[in-house]
Amino acid sequence: MSLDGRPRPGEDRDSAPWWKAVREHELLVQECGDCGRPRFPARAVCNRCRSLAWTWRRSRGTGRVYSWVVNHRAFLPGLADEVPYTVVLVRLDEGAEHDDDLLFYGDLVDFDAAELREGLPVEAVFTDVPGEPATTLVRWRPRR
Amino acid sequence: MTGFRDRTAVVGVGYTPFSKDSGVSTLTLAVQAVLAALDDAGLTVEDVDGLATHRVGDSTPPWVVAPALGVPEVTWYLDQFGGGSVSHGVVAQAAMAVASGAARTVVCYRAINARSEFRMGGTGRAPAPVFDAQYQAPYGHFAPPQQFAMAARAHMNAYGTTHEQFGRVAVTQRANAAKNPRALKRDPITLDDYLASRWIAEPLRLLDCCLETDGACAVVVTSRERARDLRAAPVLISGAAWGGGDSYFSGAGSGAGGRTDLTVTEAARMAPRLYASAGVGPADIDVAELYDCFTYSVVVQLEDYGFCAKGEGGPFVESGATAPGGALPVNTHGGFLSEGYVHGVNHIAEAVAQLRGTAGNRQVSGAEVALSTAQPGFVLAGTSALILRRDA
Repeated sequence: MSLDGRPRPGEDRDSAPWWKAVREHELLVQECGDCGRPRFPARAVCNRCRSLAWTWRRSRGTGRVYSWVVNHRAFLPGLADEVPYTVVLVRLDEGAEHDDDLLFYGDLVDFDAAELREGLPVEAVFTDVPGEPATTLVRWRPRR
Repeated sequence: MTGFRDRTAVVGVGYTPFSKDSGVSTLTLAVQAVLAALDDAGLTVEDVDGLATHRVGDSTPPWVVAPALGVPEVTWYLDQFGGGSVSHGVVAQAAMAVASGAARTVVCYRAINARSEFRMGGTGRAPAPVFDAQYQAPYGHFAPPQQFAMAARAHMNAYGTTHEQFGRVAVTQRANAAKNPRALKRDPITLDDYLASRWIAEPLRLLDCCLETDGACAVVVTSRERARDLRAAPVLISGAAWGGGDSYFSGAGSGAGGRTDLTVTEAARMAPRLYASAGVGPADIDVAELYDCFTYSVVVQLEDYGFCAKGEGGPFVESGATAPGGALPVNTHGGFLSEGYVHGVNHIAEAVAQLRGTAGNRQVSGAEVALSTAQPGFVLAGTSALILRRDA
């Protein structure tokens, strides 16, 4: 199974630093410069205090599975050799600690989709994807 | 928002045939549906001064359709970006335009070759470059069935909703479609057929998914006073709502503790506004055409529009309440699952037929008030809906 056929992320000007950090195997979230609230994905304003000030903060990269999909159909030709493939929605632990919700899509490593359950503790790992352009994916594996 | 309650009416509906390959352009489809709707209303192109549509880069805009038809002068138009979630908002905005005097007769159309030209979510077309797609597409997650499967799984986890309950939606709607000559799929299916259909994006099977369809549908909106002079029994636009605010990624969502709750749609927040706009409640709805891009979206809207408690959508369907003769007949034409998928507008057209009393052997007896809804808002953070009423 090759990841080369994965669609490349369409980075934008707000998210480019986040993707650069992922390529360096770091998971970042933004932190509001005024109220301290963490947020993801990258965007210019805090939707609670409306502050435009923010910094990047390194995440611990731990979370819990909220929901998942097992794909039996390749929706793009480049994914054909990965079917069936699972996509999980992970709730980052740090979100809950800040009365907030940080959700990440991802896929699973070292795990059988049949054993998925809501609340499964997971941690972020990084997989470099060769090809053009090279990219890195944030993926999730069970915390044991 | 009660400012335009019952002030406008749908006076015509028009369709092209539905197919998997129309062989013609979306301009041709649009023109055919608009002309059919005008004919149904007893109006001509000379009466039209407004045109409205919604599209996602896949269709022909009003400023191309109008000159193609020879509309003498367009005084108001709407070229709304968006998919099914905005479909009913387009008609609501047409009603506002008529109520305000910006236009006198608006035709709202949706024309798509959704099977032969622009399949949503593939195959082969790159994902749309929207803000949050970059965090999903690299995992192969971007197509509508995947988005809805994620929510359906969360609903199953939270409330014990079952595959069989999703299956009942598909089976009931197929039986409805058997009575609809326009429907693409008219052969009855059983629950076993449903359970034997292949997985697409588990927990959704093939028979959970709507039909990718080539076709167009149009509705004509004008004032109530003018409607009363026209051919068909006027169907009043009694209430409408559209809007949104939440998304997967907004944080501080509508769920417990500010969490994003995939089992609640934007319709839950909007429904009170919608009902207030028409001065009715869920108990007043005689027939509902609920956006059924997937079976799950019917289940969750039954909850979010207040027909049953949260988490009870599956048992509500299983009880037979949504079948013909039940407390709330739903998707009487077969819906997008079995009639065809014209991105919301064919739901409005079916609601109009039910309220006119012209739905033939699928007619809901004595239907006076209908709810028709748009995609309830998982993917883009918004939804829309209309409450229609037979003119007294």
